[in-house]
Amino acid sequence: MFISGIGIVFTRGRGINSFEKALKEGWREPSRTGLLPAYRVNQEILADPSLTKKIRRADKFTRMALFSAYDAYMNSGIIVENNEKLGIILSTAFGPHSTTFSFIDDMLDYGDANASPTKFSNSVHNAAASYVSSVLGARGPTVTLAQFSFPFQKALLLAGLWLNEGRCEHVLCGCVDELNMVMEYVCKMKLKSAEDGIIKPFTFSASPSSVPGEGGAFFMLSKDKCVNNYGKVAGISFSGQMHGKPDITVIDADGMTGDETGYGEMANSGQTMAGYSPLFGSMLTGSAFSFAAASLMLKNQIAYECPVPDNSSGIKLCTATSEADIDQINCVKICSSEIISTIKIQK
Amino acid sequence: MNIVISGIGAVSAAGTNLAENIDSLRYGKRNAGPVSIFPSRLPYPVFEVKSLPEKWNSTGMRTLSLALAAVEEALNDAGLPTQLSGFKTGVCLGTTVASQLNDIDFYDSFRKSGSADLKPIDRYLKGNLAEAVSHSVKASGPAITVVNACSSGTDAIGIAVSFLKNGICNIAIAGGADELNRVPLCGFGSLGILSNSLCAPFDRNRTGLNLGEGAGILVLEREDFYIGRGKKPLLYLSGYGSAADAYHLTAPRPDGKGLESAVRSALSDSGISPEDVCFINAHGTGTIDNDKAEGAVLSRVFGENIRFFSTKGYTGHTLGAAGGLEAAYTAEALKEGWIPASAGFACKDDEIPISPVSENTEINGSFAVSTSLAFGGNNAAIVIGRA
Repeated sequence: MFISGIGIVFTRGRGINSFEKALKEGWREPSRTGLLPAYRVNQEILADPSLTKKIRRADKFTRMALFSAYDAYMNSGIIVENNEKLGIILSTAFGPHSTTFSFIDDMLDYGDANASPTKFSNSVHNAAASYVSSVLGARGPTVTLAQFSFPFQKALLLAGLWLNEGRCEHVLCGCVDELNMVMEYVCKMKLKSAEDGIIKPFTFSASPSSVPGEGGAFFMLSKDKCVNNYGKVAGISFSGQMHGKPDITVIDADGMTGDETGYGEMANSGQTMAGYSPLFGSMLTGSAFSFAAASLMLKNQIAYECPVPDNSSGIKLCTATSEADIDQINCVKICSSEIISTIKIQK
Repeated sequence: MNIVISGIGAVSAAGTNLAENIDSLRYGKRNAGPVSIFPSRLPYPVFEVKSLPEKWNSTGMRTLSLALAAVEEALNDAGLPTQLSGFKTGVCLGTTVASQLNDIDFYDSFRKSGSADLKPIDRYLKGNLAEAVSHSVKASGPAITVVNACSSGTDAIGIAVSFLKNGICNIAIAGGADELNRVPLCGFGSLGILSNSLCAPFDRNRTGLNLGEGAGILVLEREDFYIGRGKKPLLYLSGYGSAADAYHLTAPRPDGKGLESAVRSALSDSGISPEDVCFINAHGTGTIDNDKAEGAVLSRVFGENIRFFSTKGYTGHTLGAAGGLEAAYTAEALKEGWIPASAGFACKDDEIPISPVSENTEINGSFAVSTSLAFGGNNAAIVIGRA
């Protein structure tokens, strides 16, 4: 399948151009307004009267999903003639939990019989995908997935199956997660927070530090190569096996899934590595953002400088933004120190 | 590549295994009552699982317990071990409650004091339905949890079929599970679609749905793999279709175009025409809007003489489990050659062109359809075939 459009909402803005700008500009301090340093998406990023008039009651989770999906669709330049062949796959780790807690606020404050129906209907996990489908008029298969392990990789796997079976000609496939005070508390209690605000992807620590983030990253995936083409997804593996040597390996080390020593073992093989999680923050769905970075590198034939190139083990890193001849990039995520997923994308 | 249904497991208020469930359908048992598993003053009757074996009562993980009970039954029925490490096995399950971070005591403590006991978080993180079931049975293939509201179970079955057809695995555990939970009970109550009495799908005087809980699990296998195990196929998962309304967050599209697309897609996937279908297990929640839209579509696609029923009157609406349970009932009905009376139906609604069967009815045919409609305008349908 081919990557024909990308849409992103993250801490530094909206759209693929904002993301590319961040890749060029490098690391920035996270905000420190909550319980811990974090990469939050401000409300002004989510203001767009042309879209929000159609989704007046939508919450932050839905807005991040809708804006990133809509932008991926627009970025592709594709006009889908048969809207029953446009599918949607939204994958998330935690779903719209802010709205769930807001609904529980109602239950606790006003009683079980007096909670808001609007909040309830927006708290359902598939509400965001429903808004996307309504706004775009997409009438193909539409599913929402909830995963803690490999949420993006599994969504991508399913998109490939749908395209292969002919269920869809295009699939809008992406990830969304949000960060609120409750999740910040959970992160603070369960994870090691990077008090200096810096995610260090190349320390390969057994107990890495994190800086939580939030946002949405969607991709317009197409069965056939389209005018706007970022590259081709040539394989998805959950066994660590992937044929062909990549020019660059993008790792998802961000402190969210524990032991990262496995990335170090991979680095010892001498391949050029990169990691961009310090730009958007630690998320179980962060692989979608890394995949966006890799797609941009392939399309632009530019290797972007790693925003935090801490490299005590002297591995080969992308240390400067420069033109490069890139045929293949592997996006690698290690979960629980043992299960490795690799997405192979090619020019 | 044909996909065989090799095992079935079912847990609901209608029974803690498939045979008990089918007996309840056969004899018209409707085991509803007031909520007992959590405090509630809401007046709505619910369908609770009253006698889940102690073995499956993992504190605080009721959805997972329901799922594991049905998974074990389905694996036994398939003649497979309950530990599948030697096989290429995928897991695809639907749910709603297990995916939501909605522990009321945890949140109440946090909002009062800024801190809370993290045990509910630990349970939540360990309770992702497909991941937890996959871990429990030592499956080595992909594990995907579908959270498509009320069509989750049906969509999960459809995705599992894709796993198998594309050779990602030889065996798939598919279906759905959901527990009765205070948050959705309040939520559905707030929407004004819960009935104060027993639900009456497709009846003129229907007043809404009843919530329930349970799990419905199918074991699916690639036909070549199944035959290679020395088995003779009887039931097939012949087709799946899914389509979005692109219309409204909570209301079904009145013209039913999304459901019609899903049904026609499932028929096409199966390579059959509407005339080949001998009955339909309808979503039939008992709400005004759902039953009206669904009845219109079934009539339009299958004609006025199609035999159909809803089993929500026996189980309540089990949300993410509904598609799994109804697939289980559909497969068993096709195998046994009869369909149950649509519980709660008594009076024809003049706004719905067709009526469900009002008594147990013999059927004779090779294909049946099960439909699901969901919040968010998701529609899904599967076709089950008999050899």
